[in-house]
Amino acid sequence: MTRRELLALLGGGAYAAPARSAPVAIVRARGYEQGLEAAVAGLFDQLGGLGRLVKGKTVTIKLNLTGSPASRFEGRPLGSTHYVHPRLVGAVVHAMGRAGARRVRLVESCWATGGPMEEFLLDCGWPVRALATAAPQVEFENTNARGKGRRYVRLKTPPGAWIYPAYDLNEAYEQTDVFVSLAKLKNHATCGVTLSLKNSFGITPASIYGDDAGLEEPNENPTTGRAAVFHFGKRGPSRSAPQEFDPQSSRDPGYRVPRIVAELVAARPVDLAVIDGIETVTGGEGPWIDGLRFVQPHLLIGGLNPVATDAVAMAVMGYDPQAVRGTPPFHRADNTLKLAEALGVGSADLRQIEVRGLSIEQARFPFPA
Amino acid sequence: MLLLWLAASVATWVPARWTAQDPQSLELLAGTPINCLLMEKVSPEFLAAASSRGLAVLLTLRPEADLEAVLHSAVHAGLSGLVLEGAFEQAQRERARRALAQTGLPLIELPPRAHLRLDRSGPILGSYQGLWPGIRVSEKGVARAAPTGSPWLETNTGFLRYLRAATDAPIWIANRPPAGPTSMERYLAAVADAAIIGARWVVALDPDFDGRLQRREAKALAAWKRIAEHLKFYEDHPEWRNWKPSGQLAIIIDGTSGALLANGIVDMIAVRHVPLRVVPRQRLSQQALQGARIIVSVDPAALDEAAKQLLRSFTRAGATLLSGPPGWKFPAPTVDQITLDEKGIESLGEIWREVNSVLGRRNLGARLFNVAGMLSHLLASPDGAQLVLHLANFTSYPVENITVHLPGSYTRARLLAPGEPPRELALQQIEEGVAIEIERVSSCAALLLDCKR
Repeated sequence: MTRRELLALLGGGAYAAPARSAPVAIVRARGYEQGLEAAVAGLFDQLGGLGRLVKGKTVTIKLNLTGSPASRFEGRPLGSTHYVHPRLVGAVVHAMGRAGARRVRLVESCWATGGPMEEFLLDCGWPVRALATAAPQVEFENTNARGKGRRYVRLKTPPGAWIYPAYDLNEAYEQTDVFVSLAKLKNHATCGVTLSLKNSFGITPASIYGDDAGLEEPNENPTTGRAAVFHFGKRGPSRSAPQEFDPQSSRDPGYRVPRIVAELVAARPVDLAVIDGIETVTGGEGPWIDGLRFVQPHLLIGGLNPVATDAVAMAVMGYDPQAVRGTPPFHRADNTLKLAEALGVGSADLRQIEVRGLSIEQARFPFPA
Repeated sequence: MLLLWLAASVATWVPARWTAQDPQSLELLAGTPINCLLMEKVSPEFLAAASSRGLAVLLTLRPEADLEAVLHSAVHAGLSGLVLEGAFEQAQRERARRALAQTGLPLIELPPRAHLRLDRSGPILGSYQGLWPGIRVSEKGVARAAPTGSPWLETNTGFLRYLRAATDAPIWIANRPPAGPTSMERYLAAVADAAIIGARWVVALDPDFDGRLQRREAKALAAWKRIAEHLKFYEDHPEWRNWKPSGQLAIIIDGTSGALLANGIVDMIAVRHVPLRVVPRQRLSQQALQGARIIVSVDPAALDEAAKQLLRSFTRAGATLLSGPPGWKFPAPTVDQITLDEKGIESLGEIWREVNSVLGRRNLGARLFNVAGMLSHLLASPDGAQLVLHLANFTSYPVENITVHLPGSYTRARLLAPGEPPRELALQQIEEGVAIEIERVSSCAALLLDCKR
């Protein structure tokens, strides 16, 4: 372990900013049809209302659309399993509009394509036209490449970062006043859980960090995922982007991916975390993982701090948010929440988090150990 | 005259394999379009009952049969014709052809793909070899992905597209279901897999289904009704068989470069729903390539000077020509093997990357969204007044919220589906032409478009 890692894992140490505490709300939502808008409104009311956060602002919502839309579990709609549900997205966008958001931008680094996000969403079977009119000004941006922007922006990681000093991203992640992580309540084969923190893994463009990224410059037509660069460190990102601190550091995905996620959330802070736990899957992040199971927890979880929100979500799933590697759900990886905590993103200590709406006990929906 | 009448009659045959010997079993055919039974043994009573119902009965022979004896007796038995199914020796086939030519009875040959002779004119062109259509599932029950990233679809459409383009004869594909119990959805996929190309699947039931149907079990009867409904859907539109594939991508291929194989280049492009016109090398002409913006030549070394000159004229006019290196050419199938081996599948992935980079996101006749697990086929009427976009759903669930982007202008769009009333669909003007949203496709459907003239 390097000095940098040691200091970071000491729970803040010399490099960590003071941990923030923020309320987290849990509400019940019966499904994606009737009553969803009221549930969403109730969630935001529990957090003090959206108006003060988004009025007159540009709001960028990072959706959780993991993997190819062609990959479906048991033939079910993607939003019922491993993607966030389009009706929930519509309800959140509508709520943003009603709260006075000037512009709402839906973003995701769409799997294996640099094409327009609208077309990716059509491939998901999403009602793009309806989403586009859910608030006064709705835009879509596929951040898997430069997209509609003119350039990439470089967002620096804080002192204490382990893998990269900065990340080059689509400029949508800079051109925003409010950044929302709209994630799914589910497991992840490597990281244990996919919640609002892990959702930020997908803000990185495959044009730079993909397996077929250009060696020197970004490849604006990416067709692959990011495993070679991020999970295994078999190659570096395009040389136009910052390279690793230490190419000799561990190549273990269980070491690298949680740290990269923590760094990304520190570099591009999340102002609002919303977790779709109405319908989902347990056992992994997508249909390519063996042992998946469709479940209906009927829950929405939201908070103004992603570490606190994920800590509550983990507790609802029956996990200890302070768990260490080798214990559920972190069988093969370090605890992303603790790493984010070490970078000063927030606190994973349930004692410091005020839970509003349903209590953790009332909402408990155990996921597999 | 007799031969002409015979050819016309055979062209309307809707075939099914039939195992029951009981004349009562024919009641199951009431209300279905099936009018031609392929049987391995048949009694005079059954023949008489079938004849009274206007059904054709064909005796199916395999290579091990005593051909001489059967040929001698078949003429007097009241059969409607004979079927040679399997890898018969050339001399046997010739003998059978000569024997039946004297009687006027049709001889239908269903050889292995490797023995297909496209230059022969028989009443039917077909093969008994085919994949069982559906999504290929791994041992762990997960849908396998093709090199394109989409679910791997087992389909015969690439092979059938080639036959359709290479011949004007009616086409049958007589592949059988797997031995174990098979879901109704897979039977519907088998019907659609052939019918959307204008071919006919020779209906064949697995032994479990067949037994339950003959015992008139309610679930089997319901599934049989649904299969018949799907057959009827396509038989109610015989005009579609004469419509030509539409689209601005043409692929020049033949039996020596992989067209007879399953899971080949044509299937790979089709799974991505790029409208595709297969042009057999032997039928390469100015007209066959008319309107093509991208031409893929799988085996350029096989083209003669005139063909090369023709392709040059298209590229000079602005078309893109993608000529395959030697690695693009796949061998002809063997008698026992119609699919690619693992190495071939790896090569496909490489080919796809090149083809995909040329295709880009261009609209080459239609762009479809949310259609993973489906097949499509775009056809144009001879007068250009209508298009039909066939959709076949290979998943076990209805597919919802499909979007189609089409270049051009249209006055009307309707969705036709088996057992459902036609649905009028809205046409939305978009930059690339029109967008059409389809709420739901259960098993298969046809999007019928009236073009603005």
